[in-house]
Amino acid sequence: MTGGDIQALSVRSLRSGYGRGGDIIRGVDLDQAPETILAVIGPNGSGKSSFVKTLAGLLDVRSGHVMVTGRDVTAETPAKRVAAGLAYVPQEANVFPSLTIGENLKLATEFLRGRAGVGPEQRQRVLELFPEIAARLRTRAGDLSGGQRQMLAFASALLANPEVLLLDEPSAGLSPKIVGQTMEAIVRVREAGVTVLLVEQNVAAALRIADEAVVLVAGQISLRARAAEVGASDLAELFFAKVA
Amino acid sequence: MAVQLFFNGLVTGLLIALPALALTLIFGVLKFANFAVGSMVTLGAYAAWVANVRLGLPLSASAAIAAVTVAAAGVASDQLVFERLRERGSISLLVASMGVSLIIENVCRFAFGNASRGFDVAPSRPIRWQGIRINQEQITTAAVVLVCLVLVDALLRFSPLGRAMRAVADNASLAAVRGVERRTVARLTWALVGALLGVAGVLSGLDRAIDPLIGWNYQIPIFAAAILGGLGSPLGAIAGALVIGVAEEMSALVIPTNYRQVVSFAVILALLLFRANGLFGAKAARR
Repeated sequence: MTGGDIQALSVRSLRSGYGRGGDIIRGVDLDQAPETILAVIGPNGSGKSSFVKTLAGLLDVRSGHVMVTGRDVTAETPAKRVAAGLAYVPQEANVFPSLTIGENLKLATEFLRGRAGVGPEQRQRVLELFPEIAARLRTRAGDLSGGQRQMLAFASALLANPEVLLLDEPSAGLSPKIVGQTMEAIVRVREAGVTVLLVEQNVAAALRIADEAVVLVAGQISLRARAAEVGASDLAELFFAKVA
Repeated sequence: MAVQLFFNGLVTGLLIALPALALTLIFGVLKFANFAVGSMVTLGAYAAWVANVRLGLPLSASAAIAAVTVAAAGVASDQLVFERLRERGSISLLVASMGVSLIIENVCRFAFGNASRGFDVAPSRPIRWQGIRINQEQITTAAVVLVCLVLVDALLRFSPLGRAMRAVADNASLAAVRGVERRTVARLTWALVGALLGVAGVLSGLDRAIDPLIGWNYQIPIFAAAILGGLGSPLGAIAGALVIGVAEEMSALVIPTNYRQVVSFAVILALLLFRANGLFGAKAARR
């Protein structure tokens, strides 16, 4: 990890949108310190998933910059951003169902030429974090339960030895018990030295594990605070302000 | 007679299998039906004819040249045409492939004329086995296609490129955020598909006279085979090709041979009406 004053993730005046439509992300500025969990919360349609897709390179940046450990990756393809240390786990369809678990894991690193820390040792560390998938390498990913798929998706992203891990609603569609396990896994990932940006609809679960939180409303950051200090009244005011 | 037709049908099916596999690989990885598949077979036949007849090379070396030529044409067509339209959707890409098909066919027509041509190969006597007449071209076709199919299967299962192709076929966006450059995979897929179509062109030239429409003659059976197997399913395409080949040849028992392509049309029509995902539809959807 990079220490000192360099932020793990920096976003400057970011604007993005779909096709010829208007901006969905409308001028976001954000810094995230290394080895922290930052929760991005907000009402439905506030642009949380679009924000994280823009960071991952899946949505074109119209203006602004995205930097990972001080390196500007704004013009890079999604694949090159992974090599620069930015990994992303989408909300749904986050594993390759026709490939086995072993093939999913293998694919996650074999095209990352030049990325430091990618290799057998990292694979061993990651598989120790997720023993439930390590034992089933020949199982087709399409045959896994929702929770197991989520673990495989985390493991695949972590094999790239990322500086920053972007998670888009990892609790979506999971039972409360599995949500708890997923959140525990995210804490383990942070403890392993990875910075986590967590987009989450389950506000209570996200705030429980996050160090800080930002509230995104209509594509702009409306509030940034330490997670423990975000009150229900603040959220209600912001969430309803969007509707009004 | 029926056994002979069945055997001929299997060989015809194997001949269709390579282009049907090529069609289904493009559909799986790049998400469109490549209408230029027939014209690329034609290009392969002419490339091999130039190497074999004009340059005097043996047919095996000519086949290698055909594979490289069509692979290069496939990569060039991606670079010049398909990559620019990738985000416009499958219909735009299908229509563009019709244009590419017309260009390739007419370049061949301009360069070589409309006259029928053939490879310079020594005539050989057919052999008889269990009452079936087997000629040398059929043995060559079966052997070459089976080797190609084994190699493609190994590539798809065990190589990084094969995993990347299957991953892009599953979910191109996810593949991108796992470090797979879609452009690179697209180019390599075109190179692989071009090589298969080049070899198919050589085998077609062994089966019939080489003219600017040689690939077009296989177009409908190729599409019928790929759709029958479930577009996007490599194994399905091969199975579909064998079924179509046998059905076309066996149809000679009940209809004049000139009308045997009716079988392919009928298969496409029946599938579109009753089972649009093909016989291996569920599996194809997963692949």
